Amino acid sequence: MIQDLLLNFKLAYKNIISAGLRTWLTITTLAFAFLLILFFNSLYTGWEYQGVKDQIDWEFADGQIIYKEFDKNDPFTIESGHHQMIKNENIAPVLIRQGNLYPQGRMLPIAIKGIPANQSIVKLPTHLFHESKEEFPVIIGEAMATNNHLKKGDKILLRWKDKNGTFDAKQITIVGIFHTNVPTIDMGQIWMDIDLLWKMTGLEKEASYHIVKGNYNHELKSQWRFESQQDLLKDFISMVEMKKGSSAFLYIILMFIALIAIFDSQVFSVFKRQKEIGTYIALGFTKKRVTLLLTIEGAMYAILATIIGSLISIPLISWLGVEGVTLSSKEQSQQMGITIGEKLYPMLTSKLLFSSIFWIILLSTIVSYLPVRKIAKMNTVDALKGKK
Amino acid sequence: MSTNNLIELHQVTKRFPVGDGEFTALSDINLSFSKGEFAGLIGPSGSGKTTLLNLIGALDDSTEGEIKINGKNIANNSDEASALLRNEHIGFIFQSYNLLPVYTIYENVEFPLILQKIPKEDRKIMVLQALEWVGLKDIANKKPSQISGGQAQRVAIARSIVKKPEIILADEPTANLDSENAYKIMDILKNLNEELGITFLFSSHDSKVIKYLKRVISLEDGKIINDEVK
Ligand SMILES: Nc1ncnc2c1ncn2[C@@H]1O[C@H](COP(=O)(O)OP(=O)(O)OP(=O)(O)O)[C@@H](O)[C@H]1O
Ligand SMILES: [Mg+2]
Repeated sequence: MIQDLLLNFKLAYKNIISAGLRTWLTITTLAFAFLLILFFNSLYTGWEYQGVKDQIDWEFADGQIIYKEFDKNDPFTIESGHHQMIKNENIAPVLIRQGNLYPQGRMLPIAIKGIPANQSIVKLPTHLFHESKEEFPVIIGEAMATNNHLKKGDKILLRWKDKNGTFDAKQITIVGIFHTNVPTIDMGQIWMDIDLLWKMTGLEKEASYHIVKGNYNHELKSQWRFESQQDLLKDFISMVEMKKGSSAFLYIILMFIALIAIFDSQVFSVFKRQKEIGTYIALGFTKKRVTLLLTIEGAMYAILATIIGSLISIPLISWLGVEGVTLSSKEQSQQMGITIGEKLYPMLTSKLLFSSIFWIILLSTIVSYLPVRKIAKMNTVDALKGKK
Repeated sequence: MSTNNLIELHQVTKRFPVGDGEFTALSDINLSFSKGEFAGLIGPSGSGKTTLLNLIGALDDSTEGEIKINGKNIANNSDEASALLRNEHIGFIFQSYNLLPVYTIYENVEFPLILQKIPKEDRKIMVLQALEWVGLKDIANKKPSQISGGQAQRVAIARSIVKKPEIILADEPTANLDSENAYKIMDILKNLNEELGITFLFSSHDSKVIKYLKRVISLEDGKIINDEVK
């Protein structure tokens, strides 16, 4: 049985290889589709992996406890979206207020975010608040700095409202510019010591949300809601998955072309190779076995294409996984608040590799089988005579 | 009926569907062949020679009657059983050679042995021996497209004898050959018959073939009109 199958594979291989250019065109198309499948999916997987890691490191930590009136996607909830903070050594409060910066005479509406200087839950370099001798030290992200031509050491006028709605203004000093891939903690905002923000606004011990380290399993008062890492990452992950899907367009078309080519060559085989089919039968093949042989021939395109495709794409993608790939839509993504690095590092998983191989071979096999089913109904004697 | 007959046909009829009706290509054929015969079917075109060979070779099914090979009725054989019968007991030689185009001469001859799962080393001995019989050892590595018709038919002969079948069915084996090649082929086949004891059944119009036959069966309109041993 195994021996028979092996023989079929050998024969199938010989048959399609001897078909020459046409075979190689089909195989090349299929291998290229396979390469694109691996490349795009690895690219997005790498992005997803990096983005998830960045967002956990910089923003989401192990989850957040959010005041229920506060919605990070709705700036109108900032004004009253705060409440007496929860005291726990594994969580850090964050208070958000609105304000205006006036760099070089322009007005720049921003969010002022207060966070404890001694926190170590997220990567924000909040230790700079204490290390600085300035009266109002703040840190900002690189994108914020570049977009608004700000640099370390700049002193800028900040205007904000205290809890009674009275405006106040002070010179703040940029004491640090941090580099992050997470635009939602970078663009349009400044970070300062929460103690300072409390004093500036009179909102002593108030927080919009808390960042959690480790497992937080204390009961929460009804004013607060816990959002786990998964909850917080959901939007990002589904966005990447959607992008993955939209990149499918390209390789689906290629796959389609390759499958049509296989189908076509199978139709051709049944039609033009009748004499050969009859000869196989005369020499002792059953019709079933000839059908199997020709089906394997079609599947062989996929087998060769995935072998060749793997030989090219595994080293290529692994190399890109080290070197990184620059995406032209990076700036645009950042402006939209989507976490993305300077470079994306494709990640080829074995699951992706094997499931792609599986699907390509399965589809090719089905497409190969459909035309050669006819052999079962073929008359051996007519077949032996060849095409009339 | 004698049981040591290699091939026995008993009231065999073959009808083909034609349009709304049927065409009777063979009617009520009774025939038997014993081991070692060198027999041929002759008769005008359309008399049923090929049809009869195809029935014996289990390439087609009879409409009525019994066909026994080695005492076993093949009429109701499964696809698998027919394939096995062809692989192990029957060799075919066709008018148009029917070599497999992508294989070398060697591989073409080797093919039936691979199906029989004969080990590689044994296959090599058998293939070279068969090629020796037909005098083609030196072109073993060529492809069918690179050889002449006479050579191709000799390859087909090597392929049919390599597995030492009991029966070889040869449907107009010389029809596409010039007379020099035709005689060469018939000499080879006669030798194989005499030295290996293989039973041959031909179909032919060719007087060069008929000269060699030891038994001539004449068909006309699907019936046997004469059966004579020379
Ligand atoms: N598949 C078929 N359908 C209908 N009629 C058929 C079929 N095969 C053969 N016949 C008819 O059966 C008759 C016998 O055909 P067969 O091929 O056996 O003749 P033959 O003696 O081999 O002739 P030739 O010398 O030309 O090869 C012919 O009249 C042929 O037309
Ligand atoms: Mg004929």
